[in-house]
Amino acid sequence: MRETVYVLGGAQTKFGELWNKSLSDLIREAVDGAIASTGIMPTDIDMVVIGNMVGGETAEQAHLGTLASSMLPHRPPSLRVEAACASGGLAVHTACAFLESGKAETILVIGAEKLTDVANDIVTSALMRAGDAEKDAPAGLTFPSIFALSATAYMHKYSLKREDLSLVSENSHKAAIKNPYAQFRKEIPAAAISKSPLIADPLRLLDCSPISDGAAAVILSTKHESSVHIAASQLASESLSLTDRESLTSFMSTRTAFVRALSESGWDKNSIDALELHDCFSIATLIHLEDLGYAEEGDAIRIFRQGDAGLDGALPINMSGGLKACGHPIGATGVKQILDCFKQLSGTANNQVTDMKRALAHNLGGVGATCTVHLLENIA
Amino acid sequence: MDRIPALHRRIKELANARLQPGVIESFTIVRHPPAGFGTEPYAVALIRLEDGTKVMAQLTRDSAEPMIGATVIPHMRRIRTMSNGLFVNDLKYEVVAMKTAPVFTVISYVLAVSGPSGVGKTTIARQLLTLFHSYAEQVPILTTRKAKKSDTEPYIHVSKEEFDSLLAKKEIISWTHMPSSTEQRYYGYRKRDIEAIWKKGKLPIVVTEINLLKGLVESLGRRAVLSCGLLPPGRSKRLMLSALLHRLRTRGRDTEEQIVERLKIAEADLKAFTDHAHLFDHMLVNDELGVCVETIRELVATVK
Repeated sequence: MRETVYVLGGAQTKFGELWNKSLSDLIREAVDGAIASTGIMPTDIDMVVIGNMVGGETAEQAHLGTLASSMLPHRPPSLRVEAACASGGLAVHTACAFLESGKAETILVIGAEKLTDVANDIVTSALMRAGDAEKDAPAGLTFPSIFALSATAYMHKYSLKREDLSLVSENSHKAAIKNPYAQFRKEIPAAAISKSPLIADPLRLLDCSPISDGAAAVILSTKHESSVHIAASQLASESLSLTDRESLTSFMSTRTAFVRALSESGWDKNSIDALELHDCFSIATLIHLEDLGYAEEGDAIRIFRQGDAGLDGALPINMSGGLKACGHPIGATGVKQILDCFKQLSGTANNQVTDMKRALAHNLGGVGATCTVHLLENIA
Repeated sequence: MDRIPALHRRIKELANARLQPGVIESFTIVRHPPAGFGTEPYAVALIRLEDGTKVMAQLTRDSAEPMIGATVIPHMRRIRTMSNGLFVNDLKYEVVAMKTAPVFTVISYVLAVSGPSGVGKTTIARQLLTLFHSYAEQVPILTTRKAKKSDTEPYIHVSKEEFDSLLAKKEIISWTHMPSSTEQRYYGYRKRDIEAIWKKGKLPIVVTEINLLKGLVESLGRRAVLSCGLLPPGRSKRLMLSALLHRLRTRGRDTEEQIVERLKIAEADLKAFTDHAHLFDHMLVNDELGVCVETIRELVATVK
């Protein structure tokens, strides 16, 4: 990072089916909470960046930058960014770039999505826009079925068993019990996950992150200081369509973003204490762990089998409940991951990992077509 | 959403497209079709076409069951209905058969028995071969080491040059290199030996170590190897190693120096079991020979 970017604080709404709240209600709640959590005045904010994917289709609202800016008394300049499910991570990355360039000193970063106002059909087709509209979608694919293609290939290549795959969602659900903002705060045993209805073979309902509403906001600054800073912010791309990929069982974008993030921060990957991974589908978590180098190819499931991913494990993963159990309001997720890392690093998380110094937030758009990686550190 | 000009562009593209067969790289069954695609589940596959390009396409309903590696051929079929009621046609692919194997694809499987030196691999393999005499055969090992009178494994002895040339011709599908105090030793499995056993309708058995096992899994695919790891009896690693030491000494085949060398390898092998757990389907403790053989026999019977 060219400048030290501090995370001053942040807030999120509850994630879930929030029929009593509109998209702007959600944004306002997160913004008010975020400002209140820090010592700064609203007018200290000199820019707003918001991540959102399908506001136009599911809330009939575009132009979200100004919508959010209008909530502040002085209407600072604002913009909306989009990279499918990585819109939130992209918002944080964009804010970092503005802060590093000196164009802004204190930025309000928001991620928000409102999905449950419209019928399932509309959400399904809106989410499929994360894939390739000419090469992938015309065959009648839905978003879960794209990841199912990855899962089929992975299970075939590495002989992964169904019972094992369920351990991934089980871990997320267990963590979410303590998270008051989570959509599902209930322990679900692996056996029940293995028996849930099929969505796109081999993926079942409880392999998939849910359709959620929600918003999250964090305030980043180079002017005001705090004990947590962002040590690296990286963005990487891979071909949009699966038909242009070499491999279905590894995402080059994750590998590229993480290698660059490690070199930007000068960290060793083993010095990171906990991970927030983009577990949009159970299979994705396994692929990420291998792409990040925490497991050999085909062997990531061992981390879950050995219980290493839990709160007391060697590498706690998704202690917020992740996308699977905390919920996945598309654009909000990447910002909420930064918020969860901030809570862990400032010692205020509900599933507090002991001795937290360094955390990783990994946000993915499409089937690994976009990836953002953020490394956060407590420097107190 | 119905974008009529987009449909027009697709129709023009199809008119110029060369229709080609392909092979399934992965597939899924869409249980909840998007708007316009009906209500019945259908299969969608990522297909590698003859010319190397890939397409995403639906499989026809009258297809054989989809499998990775299966051959598909194109047909023009109705794919969806627009909101104004008009039908849209596009290419769907029919699964015709599993690819007939010019390269190495799974037509059967291999039983692999591995474990540290002295654990009893050879004895167990010999018993299995007796037990399954009509439908199992041990895969010979290609080696550059000198022939010895005490050899119990079915070795094919070749020179280093021959070994290298076979490697270059890709006839060896898995190999490893083990330096010993006296010579450089290379070991490997030939593709044609395994294929020959399969052709006879028999089950190939390999008695092997971790590197060769890894190579086999890579070339044949993980699912084509039923892999059993053998552990010596003992609750701790120390006890396991002393059980091995006892066996190596009592079988009286090796000098004390060779025994120490073997023990070192055995220790690494035990570690490999934990490091490469994904390479093994079953871990068996060779406590009582008969029980162990019977367990493997049952495993094989279930697969058949």
